[in-house]
Amino acid sequence: MATAPKDFRFGNFVGSLIWLIFWILIIVSLVGLPVIFIILFYVPLPPINGEVLTPYLFLSMVVDPTRTLPIIKFLIHTDIFRIAVFPGFTFAALLAAATIFIERKFLAKMQLRVGPLYAGKIEGILQLAADGLKLIAKEIIVPSGADKPIFWMAPIAFVATAAALAALVPVAPGWVAADLDVGLLAVFAILGFFPLIALLFSWASNSKYPFIGGLRALHQMIAFEIPFILSALSVVILAGSLNLTDIALAQQPFWFILFLPISAFVFYISSLAELERIPFDLPEAESEIVAGWLTETSGMIYGLIQLGTYLKLYVLAGLFVVLFLGGWAGPQIFPQEIIPGYTGVQIYNPTTVNAIFWFTLKTFGIIMLMLLPRGINPRIRIDILLHTGWYKLIVLTFINVFIALALIYGGILGPGGVLTQ
Amino acid sequence: MSEDSKKNKSANTTNSPSSISSPPSPKPAATNNQSTNISSSTSVTKASPSPSQPKPAATTAVAKKEPDPPIFEKGLVGQISSQFSDKVKVSYIRPLRIKIYVDPINIVEVASFLRDSMGFDHAESVAGTDYPKDNQIEVGYHLGSYSKVDLGAHILLLATRTNRDDARLPTLINVYKSVEYHERETFEMLGVYFEGHPRNERFLLPEDWADIPPLRKEFRIKGR
Amino acid sequence: MANIQDNIDQSEKLGMEIVKESPDDRLMTLSVGPQHPGSGHFRFTIKLDGDYIVYCDPDPGYVHRGEEKMCEYRNFIQNIPHLERPVIHDSNNITYSYSLAVEELVGIQVPRRGQFIRAIASELNRQVYTLYWLAIYGIFLGHSTMFMWPTGDRELFIDLLDALTGARVTHAFNIPGGVRNDVPNGFKDKCLRNIAYFEKRLNEYEDIFYNNPLLRQRTEGVGILTKEDAINLGVTGSVLRASGVPFDVRKAEPYDVYNEIDFKVQYMKTCDSFARAYVPLLDMRESCNIMRQLLDKMPDSGEVRAKLQPNPKGLPGEAYRRVESGRGALGYYIVSDGTPKPYRVKISVGSFRNILALPHLLIGAKLADMPSIYWALNYWPVEADR
Repeated sequence: MATAPKDFRFGNFVGSLIWLIFWILIIVSLVGLPVIFIILFYVPLPPINGEVLTPYLFLSMVVDPTRTLPIIKFLIHTDIFRIAVFPGFTFAALLAAATIFIERKFLAKMQLRVGPLYAGKIEGILQLAADGLKLIAKEIIVPSGADKPIFWMAPIAFVATAAALAALVPVAPGWVAADLDVGLLAVFAILGFFPLIALLFSWASNSKYPFIGGLRALHQMIAFEIPFILSALSVVILAGSLNLTDIALAQQPFWFILFLPISAFVFYISSLAELERIPFDLPEAESEIVAGWLTETSGMIYGLIQLGTYLKLYVLAGLFVVLFLGGWAGPQIFPQEIIPGYTGVQIYNPTTVNAIFWFTLKTFGIIMLMLLPRGINPRIRIDILLHTGWYKLIVLTFINVFIALALIYGGILGPGGVLTQ
Repeated sequence: MSEDSKKNKSANTTNSPSSISSPPSPKPAATNNQSTNISSSTSVTKASPSPSQPKPAATTAVAKKEPDPPIFEKGLVGQISSQFSDKVKVSYIRPLRIKIYVDPINIVEVASFLRDSMGFDHAESVAGTDYPKDNQIEVGYHLGSYSKVDLGAHILLLATRTNRDDARLPTLINVYKSVEYHERETFEMLGVYFEGHPRNERFLLPEDWADIPPLRKEFRIKGR
Repeated sequence: MANIQDNIDQSEKLGMEIVKESPDDRLMTLSVGPQHPGSGHFRFTIKLDGDYIVYCDPDPGYVHRGEEKMCEYRNFIQNIPHLERPVIHDSNNITYSYSLAVEELVGIQVPRRGQFIRAIASELNRQVYTLYWLAIYGIFLGHSTMFMWPTGDRELFIDLLDALTGARVTHAFNIPGGVRNDVPNGFKDKCLRNIAYFEKRLNEYEDIFYNNPLLRQRTEGVGILTKEDAINLGVTGSVLRASGVPFDVRKAEPYDVYNEIDFKVQYMKTCDSFARAYVPLLDMRESCNIMRQLLDKMPDSGEVRAKLQPNPKGLPGEAYRRVESGRGALGYYIVSDGTPKPYRVKISVGSFRNILALPHLLIGAKLADMPSIYWALNYWPVEADR
């Protein structure tokens, strides 16, 4: 900034110090102390070494850091940690953010260019933070005549639905934000909510191009939900349960992709269509209908919708891994103990860490596979899309359903089968 | 109006065998013209046409050796002249470029003949030129041929003139579909109304254009 | 907030035309307007019946700058810089035609080396323009790699033009009488190297872009323009050649040194959008061939420009010359009256002629086919508006 600094005056300096102390006192007394009281009086705290956690004990952790371990262990196993941090929203959002950056770099290399380069010291790694800040600072323009409640609600609903989906994906054995007995059905039920949001938002935008885009989104998503469900049906037949953790555990001998390759293929294509990724990005076909149902989004609304889209990408890739690639199965490469001979509180669980590692690796592989068609293909046309979705894919899934049934009744898989352990 | 100037010009131009392109003014032919292939030095030193200096027509014939009109083009002109003897006045015959003048009443007939019998199947462009000195606007159709191989390089300029104050011409859209947008542009740029054209409307100019048609000579660009 | 009826009344008072739509009109009127990623600086209004287009009305004029009128106020050489502006990528072709017509009017003979350099610059510009067109076609179809690769490969030719003329686009290189300056040292070798690399890249384009089944599905059988219709509508350039008419101005009416170059006119007989997208690729290959021959046959030394008077006067008369540019036959009709300034300049551009095919092809097509039909007509909005 090209302004000359003001001259130093001691009175101003003392004044600024007092102002700072004033604000610290206000915040501590009006916010900090009530929080401490609530934690101390209302939240059930774990006992450490047989003692109840008192403030004195809490402050003594500064001296002996190993005393924080039980707290951390306790916190990790609470429900709110599962929902908000891992494997819930924060984990999914971080993976989604990493996916956005990796997608830009990956596509750039395919297109013989470099991608984001300048934000952040190493290869533009802070580009996403820069984009996020930019989107927050932009003005949100609401078109005149738009249906304001739905216009504001739809992006939030979009992110909320995507996050609800992320709550169902199991990352490690015992680590799911919501362990439902009908997990797979819940996934499809929640997925069916997205076309509704797209249609509502496009209608609320009060403009012609979003209207066409919303109709296309509706047609597309509905057309591909049936092949989606049918391809998962064959997995359910082989696994014998709708619970996602059980499906992952049932793939102990062999991963299901060996028996159900066609289903995996159909699931992959259907997920590309559900995510509105190229070659199926008709609802946002830029050269025909400006930006489809996202035309009137600007600023943070656009940011929220992008976040929701990439969360959905993570969820569908995670689902693919759980259904077909054995979830978190993989050779144990993490040692039993990090610090040999440690007898205190154990936070490190080798199976869990191993499971997380393999799950993340496989999910990333599938995400890259989903990013790849963007660099290779143009956009498909709506009538070819609907023809593919309603005719060809459904027929293909039926083939695999019959293969799955044959495997069960032939006694190869399923209860009492030759290959089941 | 247009008939008088046509008769005036026919005295000057029809019978000269050389490839002269005369200035479209009622003054006698006073031009030193070249075809494309003579050397530059002689042309530059001799090039100083002054239309205000009337030169007798005799001197142009002996001024320099002008090539005869090319045989193929002469044949084309002969074909046209034999069909419409006095309705068509030839302006010039040059290698690959022919210009003929037609009255507005006859233009559709001549154009149909050109399309059906001679093989000029499309119009490349329609050029309107404003001649305030004659009080006329000349509209010329550049006709070319895609289907006939030997006519591929030829451009026949079918020109017609109309009065400036009440510029009306019959449209050639029923003969050549390709003139639709060109005639519309000529309408808005020069103010020539084409009778029979479905849309004599603004095309390139902005919707709130409230001035005279811009390609007329009295429209001056501001500041020049 | 103003009432919609007030807006309509005010627009009608100003004489503006607006797109009227009555409440019980079951057709939806869309203005694929200038603010649209799929249209360029051009607007066309379409009416949709479901997914089918039943009415199309092109409305150019958003970039109309009065080129033809401006030509009458400047002398023959001063006209060159502003005449390039309609097509900045293909500027050597649009001034080539003008120079040929002026040379005919003023009576200048261009030296042989100048003719060759002019032809080489014209071919280089043709590659630049066609690659840019191909890039935008990719974007219209939603294929971002088809945008990035041609735009990157354009740099090969833009570098050459930069070395030759001093500017990347709008070179102001052709003047009546020849070219402005001679080629720099090492130009021929660099040119041959770039052409060799580019021919390999063209094979890659064919594999990845043109053999992509999705692209074929979107463009094959779409927007059929029969041969008779193409001739009647007077289209030109690659659109005409994709409908089975082997017409190329360089072959039909060779100008400058093109009668010494041996090349074939590339055309296809299937009249659909895919042919209109494929013919430019064939043209680019043939253009590489032509450039090699030109570089080979160029005389090693000589003048590149004829000596001109400072303010050459055109002799009274008219001239019509045309050149094959990236969009088709680009013709100039110049009328001169003996003064240093032209009396009338009429530019006949390929884009303006091709736009007549747009209503003809779009009516009856689906909305999703609109980009592949519209951009395959090789329409450059700025050039059509002049």
